Amino acid sequence: MLLAGLLAGVERGLNRVLRLDSTALARLGHLNGKVIAVDCTRPALQLFILPSDEGLLLATQWAAEADCTLRAPASSLLNLALSRNKTAILHSPQVHLEGESAVLMDLAAVLQDLELDWEYELSRWLGPVATPLISGHLRSRAQWYQQGFASLNQNLAEYLSEEARTLVGEREAQARFRELDKAKIDLERLEARFERLSRSLDPSDNA
Amino acid sequence: MTDQRKGSDAEPTTHFGFKNVPQSQKAEKVAEVFHSVAAKYDLMNDVLSGGMHRLWKRFTIELSGVRTGNRVLDIAGGTGDLAAKFSRLVGPTGQVVLADINGSMLKVGRDRLLDKGVADNIEFVQADAEKLPFPDNHFDCVTIAFGLRNVTRKEDAIRSMLRVLKPGGRLLVLEFSKPTNALMSKVYDTYSFAFMPLMGKLITNDAESYRYLAESIRMHPDQETLKSMMVEAGFDRVTYHNMTSGIVALHRGIKP
Repeated sequence: MLLAGLLAGVERGLNRVLRLDSTALARLGHLNGKVIAVDCTRPALQLFILPSDEGLLLATQWAAEADCTLRAPASSLLNLALSRNKTAILHSPQVHLEGESAVLMDLAAVLQDLELDWEYELSRWLGPVATPLISGHLRSRAQWYQQGFASLNQNLAEYLSEEARTLVGEREAQARFRELDKAKIDLERLEARFERLSRSLDPSDNA
Repeated sequence: MTDQRKGSDAEPTTHFGFKNVPQSQKAEKVAEVFHSVAAKYDLMNDVLSGGMHRLWKRFTIELSGVRTGNRVLDIAGGTGDLAAKFSRLVGPTGQVVLADINGSMLKVGRDRLLDKGVADNIEFVQADAEKLPFPDNHFDCVTIAFGLRNVTRKEDAIRSMLRVLKPGGRLLVLEFSKPTNALMSKVYDTYSFAFMPLMGKLITNDAESYRYLAESIRMHPDQETLKSMMVEAGFDRVTYHNMTSGIVALHRGIKP
């Protein structure tokens, strides 16, 4: 019951978020009637996802057979949720996929393509005048923080490599790596020559 | 669980809460209760169960295994909580029938679902669970949530549900039951007979209906009795799941 209550809360929140995207529900409508089972092996937990044009229905059990079953440990499931390259994770040995994989991929694509219209949701609460003012302010703040962070990052990197000489600069490191690569290849060539020479001097070979 | 004791006029009697009434009068008395509470039924459900009724119904949906294109009958569907979810699950190719013997409840349910935009694949039928007006082998799933205890002849109702189900179809009975824990049972008794009528008085100005609710729960067959009633009616693989320490139980049976 506790898990069911938790899932009900997650489902409510998730569907609220999905409604903020103008195309997500329509795309989920194409998956209406499909049942996706997510079977987490470590820790043991099973979850059923039923997409429809009203959002997602999450269930701890489902009496009907699933169209697609994804079986993997929690770490792989988390990777799958966050990664852009889902195909690579789906092909990893810990992940097992049974049934119609297209259903899962379609659902993942809908969730990945979400473009949430936060301003619309905000305007429902604050009205059409306050919303652009607040969102404009938030956007400029976000931009300022982004620029500030990028600038701090660059300055710190320059200070550590150029002034304090604590770290090696990127170009300097690349030049050193090239030298190391060259030395490694030269060594391998030398080793091959020695081997050839030793083989030619070996009396048993000559015989 | 019809009480076969005879009244003074020789008509078989049955229980209405803790009272015995002639069988012919029970439906009318139950109808009075639900006419009285229909308008604030959802609010009272939330208040009295602390929102738990949503989780109990959610579990019912999970065990129903309803899929696209299925035909579902929700008996005593009241304000349409389950029917709305089923409508979404069966999709445009399926069908949901919300049946209730009480016109007031059915009207509240119909208005509520129409307001939510649930209309394409749903029908509203005023029907008695004992004599369901549907053909044999018609539905993939039949549910009755918090309704069976108000039915006069429960055996007849269960047999009627079996008749309308397709072979392999599922009956789900969600109903108040007997707490499995002695301490919980005591707390629940105090809650039911003191708090529920009081809340009924405060919110709907009708303590009597909520006293009936508490009494009817006590008179309803417990988990094992209801299970054996379903088996006797002809259901196969009958199982039940206790929820919230047995305060509510979900019985499931398959038509062979």
